[in-house]
Amino acid sequence: MIALEAKGLKKCYTAVPAVSDVTFCLHPGEVLGCLGPNGAGKSTIVRMLTGLSEPTRGYVFSLGTNIHKDLVAYRRHLGYVPEEPELYSFLSGWEYLELVGALRGMERRQMEMKIDALLSLFSLAPYGHSSIGSYSKGMRQRILLIAALMHDPQILILDEPLSGLDVISAIVVKNLIKTLGEHGKAIFYCSHVLEVVEKVCSHVMVLRKGRVIAHAPTTELQTMVGQPSLEHAFIYLAADRDAHQTATEIVEVMSAS
Amino acid sequence: MQSMAQHWEKLSRGPFIRLVRHCEDRIFAGSEGVEPGELDLSIGTILALLATPSAFASVFLLDRYGSLMRFLRGQSIRFDPYAASLPDEYFFIVLALVVAGFVAVWKWDRLLPDRRDYANLAPLPISSRRIFLANLVALSLLAVVLSLDVNALSSLLFPFVVCAQERFRVLAEFFVTHTLSVVLASAFGFLAVFAVLGTMMALLPYGIFRKYSLYARCGIIFFLMALLTTSFSEPHKIERLHSQYRWEEVPPPAWFLGLCQTLRGKSDPALASLSGAAIMGLLFALVLSIAAYSLCYTRCFTQSAEIAVKLPAGRRPRSSLAFGLLDRVLLRTPLQRACYRFALRALFRSEEQAFALGGFLSLGLVNASQIVLLALDKRPSPGFSAMPSAALLSAPLILGYFLTVGLWAVCAIPALLRANWVFRFNVDPRTRECTPLARKVILTFVVPSLVLFCLPVYSHFWGWRVGVLHTSLVAIWCVLLMEGLLIGFRKIPFACSLPKFRSNGIVTALLFVFGYFAFTSVTAEIETWTLAEPFWFFPFVAFVTALWLAFHRWRKIMAGGDSQLIFEEEPVTAVEVLNLTG
Repeated sequence: MIALEAKGLKKCYTAVPAVSDVTFCLHPGEVLGCLGPNGAGKSTIVRMLTGLSEPTRGYVFSLGTNIHKDLVAYRRHLGYVPEEPELYSFLSGWEYLELVGALRGMERRQMEMKIDALLSLFSLAPYGHSSIGSYSKGMRQRILLIAALMHDPQILILDEPLSGLDVISAIVVKNLIKTLGEHGKAIFYCSHVLEVVEKVCSHVMVLRKGRVIAHAPTTELQTMVGQPSLEHAFIYLAADRDAHQTATEIVEVMSAS
Repeated sequence: MQSMAQHWEKLSRGPFIRLVRHCEDRIFAGSEGVEPGELDLSIGTILALLATPSAFASVFLLDRYGSLMRFLRGQSIRFDPYAASLPDEYFFIVLALVVAGFVAVWKWDRLLPDRRDYANLAPLPISSRRIFLANLVALSLLAVVLSLDVNALSSLLFPFVVCAQERFRVLAEFFVTHTLSVVLASAFGFLAVFAVLGTMMALLPYGIFRKYSLYARCGIIFFLMALLTTSFSEPHKIERLHSQYRWEEVPPPAWFLGLCQTLRGKSDPALASLSGAAIMGLLFALVLSIAAYSLCYTRCFTQSAEIAVKLPAGRRPRSSLAFGLLDRVLLRTPLQRACYRFALRALFRSEEQAFALGGFLSLGLVNASQIVLLALDKRPSPGFSAMPSAALLSAPLILGYFLTVGLWAVCAIPALLRANWVFRFNVDPRTRECTPLARKVILTFVVPSLVLFCLPVYSHFWGWRVGVLHTSLVAIWCVLLMEGLLIGFRKIPFACSLPKFRSNGIVTALLFVFGYFAFTSVTAEIETWTLAEPFWFFPFVAFVTALWLAFHRWRKIMAGGDSQLIFEEEPVTAVEVLNLTG
């Protein structure tokens, strides 16, 4: 059974489509890395996959059902970490997680037990009752990760989950994603960090100007395009200008009198 | 002249003036990263809002000083404006002080340069002294503009209302002395609050100040509200001011009343000593503010990079007995429990919500107190009659009206709109629990305030029968108002963008004004008849039942239409493009 399937997704905000003809499948146990330069349409795809935005054309299916037929049922087994950690700053981390757990209809005692345990495992236990307004970006990101995981979802959509995390937390999360994949969770993982995608993702999808230009198992992609690493493969596929040349031009502009 | 203009132009483009403008912008700016649809008051709106309370209060006084109204009441048209207006002069001084103090509380986080300023300004080739001076100039400008703005309309209206029958010289003298007193009172209010909070910030450890600053600000608001509400009971005390009061025995507004009377040449030794206290108090607040500002600046700005970011540990929320009881009795679904706790936390912790509700409550308190003062003034004899007058009955109705409408309006103000994705993501958009949820949030505030305030006060003065009947009537009326307001309500409180201005916005605003008079004055009149003639009770009950049924029916009709939860208020378009070409 396919956990998550996108069929011919298209999204137009203006006359120019932000995303066009995006099709892919995500099976249980797969970690699909979504790569692309800024403005390639990664976040638009994420919003459509979570049901926060409706596609102009195309469909998203989960376990064979169009997600818009019953968004509530779909989201019951979905965990989502958005790109920006936008949280209510007047709540404490614990209160925020309590809000999410209660909105998800979790049983109170189990929810409190999970919140305490996860806060401790994500090294947030001493600050769990401090206001989110005083948190660093990394701490907010960890709160979002806990909120996405605490109801044990079958599908995870992670948009730059390592953003702002310190080295130790980032290593924990990378291992966590791998372990979740091994436990049969379907994970859609958006990132700019090629090294992480190479390490944690079983499959990679490369976007450019709103279109999928490559979709293959991570190991096969490099071979397919004849490049030694994922970074080289990505530059070969998605970069529309020479990085070295751009750097030289910047220095020239800086030193112009 | 031209060279001066050129010099000014050069100066205004210079880095110092740019820095002052930056500091002013920071003080007046809304919250950080405000989204379209969130509450973000511009400078113009803030100044207009601040000028409104004293203007309203001046207009209200037409009833007391207007020659026609005095004639109709059988009072003499000629009166001594200075003696007659003393209680109102005191009220305006209190209002000026309170509004300016309230602004200092509201904008406290923006008055001093913070870490973000440090991150942006410290790496630039600007000396720390220059930043210090620029912010000080911006603060001084704020204090001046605020003091003038808060009193601008009342300074014009109040002397005209009181001295309409007097010669121009009296009018001019009244205008000058009144304006000077209220402007200085405003400056004192702003500086005193700044001095208190600044001293706390300078003396307490940063973490502790940060943790308790909200409570300190709430304490100051409470003190300011107490000044405002007790200002109406002051006339009797003011009469005795002439004999025995010393400056430390009276609240600061009385010092400025002494100053006002001294300027008018109407003072005695006691009032003259109070005027000295006003000047000394103002100077003391100014010196203390500058000292606190200097210390805070050194501690919190120049040493920003040195301050270790240590988070307060916080405390686990306790499942209190009250919440447990509410969960069992009132909040029956997980969504209601989650959103109700969220709503209470937003109301008590989010500044926009707390201050907006405080604004509505203040309006209610000012209006109710004003009405009570007028009613007490009109009493034929001291003491209370067997039945309360319509004006006295209307006080809790006024408070109930502002509390209910205020809570309903505050629920529409988003608390960090960008974060509402958590509701969009987790809440069933077809849920029909929004109205019950908003109803429970409003009732949580309205019912206890009535039981704690209205019932004991009216029972004490007019007996249990009147107390119980009046409390029940106010409660029923508030519930009816709430039911009317919540028809078609499809939002989670604090999680939807601000309503857009609609073409019927002016009509709606007028409806609220007329609604206010119907809710308060008309109801109080009817209640007076009902208390005097119990016969009127039956048509009144029939009317309430009919209204209830009408709301019920209307709600059913609305529920049959679009029932999706709203997260973004869209304006109703007059013309819609159907886009049939696909």
